[in-house]
Order: sequence, then structure tokens, then C-alpha cells
Amino acid sequence: MAGLYDFNLRVLVPYLPVLGLGALKTLEISALAILISFPLGLLGALMRVSGSRLARAIGTGYVEAVRNVPLLVVLYVLFYALPANGIRLDAFTAGVIGLAINSTAFTIEIFRGGFAAIPAWQYEAAGALGLPRWPLLRLVVVPQVFRVVLPSLGNQIVSVVLGSAQASIIGVGELTYQTQSIGSATFRYFELFTIAALFYILCVQVIAAIWRLVSGRSARAPLGI
Amino acid sequence: MIASGHFLNYVILLLKGLGITLELSLGALVFGSLGGIVLGAMRGARWRPVRALAFLYVEAVRSIPFVILLFFVFYALPLALDIDIPPYPAAISALSLHCSAYMGEVVRSGIEAIPKGQWEAAQSLGLGYYRIMRHVVLPQALQVMIPPTIGVYVSTIKESSLASIIGFVELLGQGMAIRESNAGRSTADVLVAVAIGYFAICWSLSLLGRRLERRSAREVRPRVQPTAAAGLQPDAILPAGP
Repeated sequence: MAGLYDFNLRVLVPYLPVLGLGALKTLEISALAILISFPLGLLGALMRVSGSRLARAIGTGYVEAVRNVPLLVVLYVLFYALPANGIRLDAFTAGVIGLAINSTAFTIEIFRGGFAAIPAWQYEAAGALGLPRWPLLRLVVVPQVFRVVLPSLGNQIVSVVLGSAQASIIGVGELTYQTQSIGSATFRYFELFTIAALFYILCVQVIAAIWRLVSGRSARAPLGI
Repeated sequence: MIASGHFLNYVILLLKGLGITLELSLGALVFGSLGGIVLGAMRGARWRPVRALAFLYVEAVRSIPFVILLFFVFYALPLALDIDIPPYPAAISALSLHCSAYMGEVVRSGIEAIPKGQWEAAQSLGLGYYRIMRHVVLPQALQVMIPPTIGVYVSTIKESSLASIIGFVELLGQGMAIRESNAGRSTADVLVAVAIGYFAICWSLSLLGRRLERRSAREVRPRVQPTAAAGLQPDAILPAGP
């Protein structure tokens, strides 16, 4: 047919359940990666601000190594290189671990920025009151750090969801994978990728709205620093 | 382990792939920067629909995974427009579209870093929009924009690895081709070599970016935000310690 492309969504109706399951898988893999990487990110940031030189070096090395290598290479290492060395991961596990490895590096940087925003006099003042290092971190520093980093953590959640599309390449049956496999059966790529794009845009908007709700109170309260 | 006789050949192939990765990403950065300048200018336009259009474009592209954008250009556009799009043009256009959205933000924040007072001062001297941009704002804004542009280049290099999945042979594509030719026996070695390739260029660029950022923070800030003359600052008046 010459002329305008025949945009046809009706052909895709039978595939809607598969697309829905794919979308759920996208949310599942992203949520798992975030649940793993956020605590690890805080831990890594504590290492980067700790007194131990070794801990600082490990934290810095990890961040620099992971941030400067594409996520897809990390996924390939987990999915193709590890089995050759006797460790076999299924696609879903490799996808979650790969995304978590990547997200942890960026989360460490976010929390480190939060720690850097706490002025030195607060440490000195708390030290002068006789607060040992751990309670000082737990009671004085970390609560303020969370308020500083909340907006950046929201952005990080978004970039994990967007990054999860790359898990399709190693065969995780999430949304991007399903759109591609339905596309190869129906050749309705135009409609399918439009639907997928709209789903991701919607996801980002919903995450942003939820995040504004979550961080709303703490964002409005005056920051003591 | 890779047979030692082929080792040098593989290294040469991977270095070629690295060159192609750099070229592809640089091309996308150039096109993306042109797009970014247009978007940045649109964001500062007086007419509201123009501002809204640029905003929607930037937000939409930044909310779609790059894989989807790439697949859209490579699989969907040829069907919709009834044309043939080979992997290279598909990869460079998708990367350029992606890059332009991020460069649009870089340009916008670069222009916004120049305080309103300078616009007002230049206007009161009788300069028009174009001459203020050309002689007052852009020379300073460009310096502010260089470090984040390097950041965009680094992330474009990383995103460009996805071009390998539509069959364009850059660094990662080359690595996977070597892996295939070895029937998967050298997977770990090849992937580690590929990772080192990406790390070497991205890390050096990041270091360069950070260094330029520190320098522009030292040089540009005093001009952008004029402070009191040094002689009037209390520190300079107080007598030096013993």
C-alpha cells in the first residue's frame, strides 16, 4: 500500500495480556534492582566517607569502574562469561544483578554527595557533645543526608526503569522483549514501540508523582544546613 | 583462553571497534549539540508554544529507554515510511535524537547560569538580543557548558554499545563477533577486553571533565557573580598572623 502508514491497533488486541505481563516484569525487575542497590549504595557511600583508607579505595574503585562501562557489557559478562566459568545464572537473575551492580555505583555517588552536603561543624559539635562515631552518623548525619538525596534517588529509580529495557537483550521477558517478539510475529513494530514508549513515559510520570508525594513533607521542611 | 597466535589480531580488531565507537558517538554528539542549541534557544523563546514543544521533546526522549528509540528507528520507521534504514544510519540518528535532548538541557542551564543582571546591563547599553547572546552570554555560557557536554559524550559512548544489537559492529559488536568465531570459548577474555576499552576512554574523559569543571568554577564564577573588591574584604584588612 502506497501513501500513509496504516496505523492499526486492533491487530494487537490478542497480544495485550502478554504486553501487560511484560510491563509487570519490567516493574518487578526494576523494583528488585532498586531494593538491592539503594541499601548497598548507602553502605558504599559510608565506605567512601569512612576513616579507613582501604574502604575508601574500594568504594571509589567500584564507582569508577562501573560508571565507566556500559550496562550492556555488565549484563553480557553476567549472562555469557560467568557460565563459561561454571556459574550459570538465568536471564532474570542476571538482569536483576546487572541492573543492581550498575545502580549501586550511581547510588553511592548520590549518597556521597549527601554526606558532603553536611557541614564539618556538625560533626565537630556532635563530637564535642561526646557522641561516638556510629550514633553521630545514625542520629545526626544520615537523617539529614536522606533529605538532601531524596530528589536524586527519585531520578535514580527512573533510570533503573529505563535501564531495565536492556535486560530484554539477554532474554528477560519484560516489556521491551515482548514488544520485539510480538513485532517479529505481526510486523506491527510502529504500533508496538509507540505503546512501549508511552508505557515508559507514563511510568516516569507516575514515579515522579509518587516521589513528590513521598518527599513532599521533607522537601518543604526547612533544612538545618 | 585466546590462542596466542591470534591474540594480536584480536587486539587490532578490538582497537578498530573502539575507533568506530568513538567516531559513532562523536558524530551523534555533533548532531546532538546542533539539536541541543536549537532546543536550548526554543526553551528561552518568548512564544509559549515554542517553549512547550521543546520541553515536551526533551521530557519525552529522556523518559524513553534508548533501546526503544533505537528499535523504533531501525524496525518501525522503515515500515512506516517504506524506506530502508541500514544499521549505521539508524544507530547514529537514534543516538543523535537521544543526545540532543540531553544537550538541550546542557545549553539551557548554561544560558541560565548567566545572571539576569548581565542581560539588563547589556540591554541598557542598547544591545539587541542577538548581540547580547553573541558577545555577552554565549562566551561565558560555553565555558560553563563544556564539562557537562563531556558528561553527555561519555554517556553517549556507553549508549552506543547498544548499536551492536541492531548489527552495527562497533567495540562491543566486534567483541561479540570474536566470541562467535571462537565458538564462545574466549567469552570472558573478550568481554573483559571490551570493558577495559570502554573504561579507558570513558574514565579519561570523565577525569578531563572534572578537571575542566574545577577550572571553570574558579575562572567563570568570579566573572559571573562579581564579588566585592579583594581589598575591601575583612581578611585582607586584618593583619597577618605571626
